[in-house]
Amino acid sequence: MSDFLRVKNLRASIEGNQILKGIDLEVNPGEVHAIMGPNGSGKSTLSSVLAGREDYEVEADEVTFLGKELLEMAPEERAREGLFLAFQYPVEIPGVSNINFLKAAINAKRHHQGLADITAKDFMVMVKEKQALVELKQSLANRSVNEGFSGGEKKRNEIFQMAMLEPRLGILDETDSGLDIDALKIVANGVNKLKSKDNSFILITHYQRLLNYIVPDFVHVLYNGKIVKSGDKSLALELEEKGYDWIINEVEAV
Amino acid sequence: MANKLDFLKQFDQLTALFPVQGNARAVIHNGLDFPTTRDEYWKYTRVTSLVESEYVRNVPNIDSIDAFRVPGLDAQYLVFVNGEYSKKFSDTEHIEGVEVTSMRLAEGERKQQMLQHLDQYIDSETQAFHALNTSYFLDGSFITVEKNTSLSKPICILNICAGKRQANNIRNLIVVGEMAKAEFISLHEGHENEGSFTNAVTELKVEQGGDASLYLIQNDGPESAHINAIQVVQEKDSQSKVVTITRTGKLVRNNLNFTVAGQGCESNMYGVYFTSDKQHVDNHTYVDHLVPNCNSNELYKGVMSDRSTGVFNGKIMVHRDAQQTNAFQSNQNILLSERATINTKPELEIYADDVKCSHGCTIGQLDEEAMFYLQTRGLGKAAAAKLLVQAFSGDVTAQITNDALRDMVEGFLHQKFEDQDA
Repeated sequence: MSDFLRVKNLRASIEGNQILKGIDLEVNPGEVHAIMGPNGSGKSTLSSVLAGREDYEVEADEVTFLGKELLEMAPEERAREGLFLAFQYPVEIPGVSNINFLKAAINAKRHHQGLADITAKDFMVMVKEKQALVELKQSLANRSVNEGFSGGEKKRNEIFQMAMLEPRLGILDETDSGLDIDALKIVANGVNKLKSKDNSFILITHYQRLLNYIVPDFVHVLYNGKIVKSGDKSLALELEEKGYDWIINEVEAV
Repeated sequence: MANKLDFLKQFDQLTALFPVQGNARAVIHNGLDFPTTRDEYWKYTRVTSLVESEYVRNVPNIDSIDAFRVPGLDAQYLVFVNGEYSKKFSDTEHIEGVEVTSMRLAEGERKQQMLQHLDQYIDSETQAFHALNTSYFLDGSFITVEKNTSLSKPICILNICAGKRQANNIRNLIVVGEMAKAEFISLHEGHENEGSFTNAVTELKVEQGGDASLYLIQNDGPESAHINAIQVVQEKDSQSKVVTITRTGKLVRNNLNFTVAGQGCESNMYGVYFTSDKQHVDNHTYVDHLVPNCNSNELYKGVMSDRSTGVFNGKIMVHRDAQQTNAFQSNQNILLSERATINTKPELEIYADDVKCSHGCTIGQLDEEAMFYLQTRGLGKAAAAKLLVQAFSGDVTAQITNDALRDMVEGFLHQKFEDQDA
């Protein structure tokens, strides 16, 4: 058994409402997991809780990432350990330059690993390379974080940041929402190029369409705060065809 | 010491150098009293302790001013320690078109020129701290920039407040001639000056078509007080910019006044205050639009932590004749602590009917969503807050066109957040 990401009986509530009601999930290196589910099933809560958003009351039997207690870490510590959340709604931060902030983020991670600051030259080489990966215009990289970006540009910027930070585990929270087909292909292509035997991805999505471009190893269906069904990529196709009602009926019949 | 005359007595043995000083002494010894919190414009700033204290007077020997300089700044320095001119530390090289004189040392024609302007712009009749300054200043800077001269480097007036319980009346008189252009830095630094009090007055006259920038940097030290007055007078078609940066100072009160007396003027005022501990920083500004076709812009930003308190009161007066005035004013604040307080009051008084004016203020916290976003990229809380605060204050610090000075001011911010991240 690997100790990459292990989640056992994860529960989370906000203002007394329980959103996650006992999630079990295990992710191994090199795997791509898709978590699908209807609106309100708890998908975004799951990604928020894993990334460390403080708004929730969280309990679990176990949540470990690379052998460490994830829930005890602050969001920045999780990031430095190699967890990355691509936001569903990336935040606009006027006045903070995309590039300066990324440099600070990379250096924070390097310090955590006991490394010195990245050199200006290495950094610029890396920026160039990763920008090309998601076809992000250079002018965007130099602008304030997400300020005035279109929806597609924001999502591409998320993937660009992910590429720069080279996480072990990337969680993509509805990265496909609001993207046209070309942007979707660019984003998916970026993710595919980042895939390796050492890193893993959790794709959180409402629709199957992203999974045409990023092929998952496992598909899980989240409903009412629980994973109610898991399978391989064929499950996503089945869902696309039959809709979520099919699973909901099955679950509620039990 | 509950009595004004007792308080004044400790300064009365100082020699009056100029006739205006005698006049001011008469005014302040008679009907003019120091403001209290019952005065509307001093409602949130209590100065009683300053004008009831006993002060001492000495000028400590300072070996070097290197620690007080703006790192990397190429400027002509004019240095005063506790209000006394320091020839040793001042740059005396002559720059074409500029005259920099110690008021006390001014003689002959130069002195006559000075007396034409001295105390002609500031109100020493009704404002007690102005009168106090005029009464007892020991020296000051008198700077003139000749017609059509454009200065290649700034003139930096460095005032060091050194030693405990000093009371220093700092005086500057600057005249920028027709079509001349110049930058001035009024840099206030401190050295072991617990309980000291700086009372500074600057008169800045910008003649027709002139362009003057004045940067006030207040870094007097955490245990001293500073009351500052700047009076700008603008003639036709002139431009002025005053940027006020307040870093340290237990009690700081700034009075910035613009009298716009000629058409076609532009007046800009910007400020940032970074407060902490129990600091109290009060910015009062007043723009008097007397004539048509002038613009004024104002932007002040506050970043306040701990139990510090701030006051902003900006008043724009547009007189009946001042048609076609464009006047904009904004005060924005970020409170980093639940116990920090800001009292802000933007004021507009308009008697003309064809003007464009706006005013507003905001008070908020750091954007939590942005903080979380930055944290998920690996930045610690302090580093994330620093980035956001830097961005917040960036549109004011960007107004500092001198790179070395801007770097220093941005450094104040860095130091504020330094070592907070593990």
